[in-house]
Amino acid sequence: MDSKGWIIPLRDAAGLDERLIGGKAAKLAQLIHAGLRVPDGFCITAPAYDDFLTQGTLVDLVRMELGRKPLEGMRWEEIWDSALRIRAGFAAQSISQELTQAILEAQGELGEGTLLAVRSSAPGEDSPRHSFAGLHESIVGVSDAEEVLDAVKTVWASLWSDAALLYHKELALDPAKSRMAVLVQRVIDEDRSGVAFARDPRGGAEHQMIVEAVPGPCSGLVDGAVDPDRWVLARDSGEVISWRSGDRGQGPLVPPILDDGDLAKIHTTVMRIESFFGWPPDVEWTGLASRFTVLQARPITTVTTPDEDKRAWYLTLRPSMQRLQKLRIRVADILIPELERLGQRLTEEALQDYNDRELAVAIEERATEVDKWKKIYWDDFIPFAHGVRQLGAYYNDAVHPVDPYEFVAVLRGEDTLAMERNGSLEHLAEMLRKNDALREWVGQALVEAEEPDSGAGDLTERLSDVSGGQAFRQRLSAFVDLHLDVTYRGERLAGRPDLILRTLMQMAARPGTIGPRASTQAEQEHKTRECERRLLEAVGPNRRAEAQEVIATGRLSWRLRDDDNILVGRLEAQLLRAVQIGIERLVSEGRLATSSPATRATALIVSDALRDPSHLAIALPEPEESSDEAASVDGGESPRQLIGQPAAPGVVTGRARSIRSAEDLGRFQAGEILVCDAIEPTMTHLVPLAGAVVERRGGMLIHGAIIARELDIPCVNGVARATEILHDGEILTVDGYLGIVTVGPPEFRLEGLEIS
Amino acid sequence: MHDVDEPSFGLEHNGPTDDAVDPRDVAAGIRDLLSQQRFAVLCTQGGEQPYGSLIAYAVDDGLETAVFSTARATRKYNLLKACSRVALVVDSRPSYPDDLMKVEAITATGRVRELEDKERGPWAAMLIARHPQLRAFVTSPSTAVFKVEMVRYLYVTRFQEVHQWVPGPIRNARCS
Repeated sequence: MDSKGWIIPLRDAAGLDERLIGGKAAKLAQLIHAGLRVPDGFCITAPAYDDFLTQGTLVDLVRMELGRKPLEGMRWEEIWDSALRIRAGFAAQSISQELTQAILEAQGELGEGTLLAVRSSAPGEDSPRHSFAGLHESIVGVSDAEEVLDAVKTVWASLWSDAALLYHKELALDPAKSRMAVLVQRVIDEDRSGVAFARDPRGGAEHQMIVEAVPGPCSGLVDGAVDPDRWVLARDSGEVISWRSGDRGQGPLVPPILDDGDLAKIHTTVMRIESFFGWPPDVEWTGLASRFTVLQARPITTVTTPDEDKRAWYLTLRPSMQRLQKLRIRVADILIPELERLGQRLTEEALQDYNDRELAVAIEERATEVDKWKKIYWDDFIPFAHGVRQLGAYYNDAVHPVDPYEFVAVLRGEDTLAMERNGSLEHLAEMLRKNDALREWVGQALVEAEEPDSGAGDLTERLSDVSGGQAFRQRLSAFVDLHLDVTYRGERLAGRPDLILRTLMQMAARPGTIGPRASTQAEQEHKTRECERRLLEAVGPNRRAEAQEVIATGRLSWRLRDDDNILVGRLEAQLLRAVQIGIERLVSEGRLATSSPATRATALIVSDALRDPSHLAIALPEPEESSDEAASVDGGESPRQLIGQPAAPGVVTGRARSIRSAEDLGRFQAGEILVCDAIEPTMTHLVPLAGAVVERRGGMLIHGAIIARELDIPCVNGVARATEILHDGEILTVDGYLGIVTVGPPEFRLEGLEIS
Repeated sequence: MHDVDEPSFGLEHNGPTDDAVDPRDVAAGIRDLLSQQRFAVLCTQGGEQPYGSLIAYAVDDGLETAVFSTARATRKYNLLKACSRVALVVDSRPSYPDDLMKVEAITATGRVRELEDKERGPWAAMLIARHPQLRAFVTSPSTAVFKVEMVRYLYVTRFQEVHQWVPGPIRNARCS
């Protein structure tokens, strides 16, 4: 042990307090003491973490990230953002000279150039009381001094990982008190590795032990990359109850990679570990017979949390390279093209010409497809969207940029449906700009359309009456069919051309608005190439292919987030279209008293009615009132300064305009501050008009944030109840540098009251 | 933490998701802070020069009126007589000396008036109840007791979140 007590060889650590060396190290040290084989290594104790913290202001950084908004009110994405900033802060902080020396000396004793595993060993980690496996970080396969020191800092930072922050209550995380020890060990490379569960981790079968094995290192099994051979053994005797061969592409006749002798030995050792610790362990091991080595032993994870607790699900969203690779192929090559084809086919169906039965079938088919694709959205599209986060973490770990969100520049340059749409919009706006007569006519028509019962529908038809109107009308119709066949808040936008016309008039009043101007576009492209170059340079030639894969996945993930939303939205719009036709038909047949807006809920009622030969009258349920009117807060209270995420930089003052309904889409005026629950693809065309963006939904890497950043518009999101407490017309100052929205003009005056 | 990554679909929008945290009860937070911190910084001004001093204060149940006392021979007494507009700053640094994110603070604005002998009794009593060690000081003939009509509170949490709260009847009188 060194003089400060920062470094303790693992073989000397048995019996030491877990608060000093952490749970993982404590258990392995005890197993060494009990005579089991464990890879050689050393612990960097918790006081070393303290020493590191005192070198700078990391405690304040962590406090600020944890304190800025209540963690309970933060989405997983926001928590991930905080963890990324903390991680960047740790990476930027230097380890003291003395501690660096101590670490490198200990590393030297394990052998020059030896491959090492650097793993978290937090006090309380892997305890029988709360079994939260995988909350902190492990880095395997580092050997040179710089890599090892970086790995240690990354593991320290993982005390505040997104997963740990999600469980901060259970872990009792406290910036002032929580500490992390680090375990550094030789990587042992045996020809077979695996895991063993002293009890079946799926619960139920109390008397069974599970053993899994793969050729090569254990990481292949743990990452899910290699399918293992699997045995179920009787706990008491070790007898093999069943086994199955893993699918590793080697054909059906390959023998199992463990023989009976191997299994017996594993069984004995696991039971020995169980009786030693007093709880049934989950054991990671490598090597067989006399080379059997324990890599980890911890209580079996059987976390039972109530169903409403989504945290475990959120953790499945954490991007893993393997999973993203598989998803990429599935999403990009199979699912999206299928979804596109389906949307196209449904759009082209001439539903008006169908008889009642055919129309009923069409409605049912659409309803089924919508449900099916929503499931795919949750299972595949949402997880794939996190390719962007993988790129972020990868970039930061390699490049260590000052701005932890610099990597967003790498995402640019992808043509998305939204960009295409914005280009078309700009073209339409230009047509209005150049044609005074047309513009005046549209302006007048929109004023008239505000009269009740004026019927916005025929507005497009009447365009042909104006000079230049025919060409404009054709282009507008094409645009509406291609880009507006989506729903917003239950309303099908294709039926509301007046909304897009209002926006076009706004755009026409300004010079070319949509999309960055040519010079900024060139600047952006330069920045994209520069960041890409920095990343590839930082990872070096050996990891170049890997880096390019991560970049490609990140870009595709970003591109498809917009597309998949729009494409699934189109399916919904097509469902509503069919239901609408059904409703109109039933009304004209006298079977339905009044027309009702088409909704998902009414779809099957309508299709049943169409199928019904008895032609009875039906009634549709009342649509639910959307309840997000601006709430009136307690009479005396008003917000003055609200905190959110600093999602896109800049400071702008303007008037608030909330988007809560399709109607609001048409009301938005250039320069206003766009306030919404969340930026959706159906409103991204408004963002270039906005002075700034404020969203209730939070996250540095959510859709609206990235778009705002691309357009150099300040954005603050994660503002709790934004659409409820910010009122239209209110003056807002949006500070995207700090993540603050100030409500009301900057000065205030004392009321001139006389007091009694 | 309910909603997940991307926006809800057009068909199933249910209105904004409730945030897991209840809206902060600003009035309750103000009340708690004022009940925990017995001292405030009184901000006054004169001749375009601002001035500040530490005072012992008390506040009524409705948080509409505060009371403090000062010797008449002080600078701040003279400033208060010349200009009745004041601000009070109260914060919880003593409870959280190390963690800025946990500190709460109030800036309250209001107008003061010196209480005449015949009205000062109950107010002096309120002040002394909160600060018993100041009995001799408050009851001295050389000391004035001021009441403050609190117009508006600005309540700061988490370093940068600010809510304004206006107490009681003044709420109706103010022009917004």
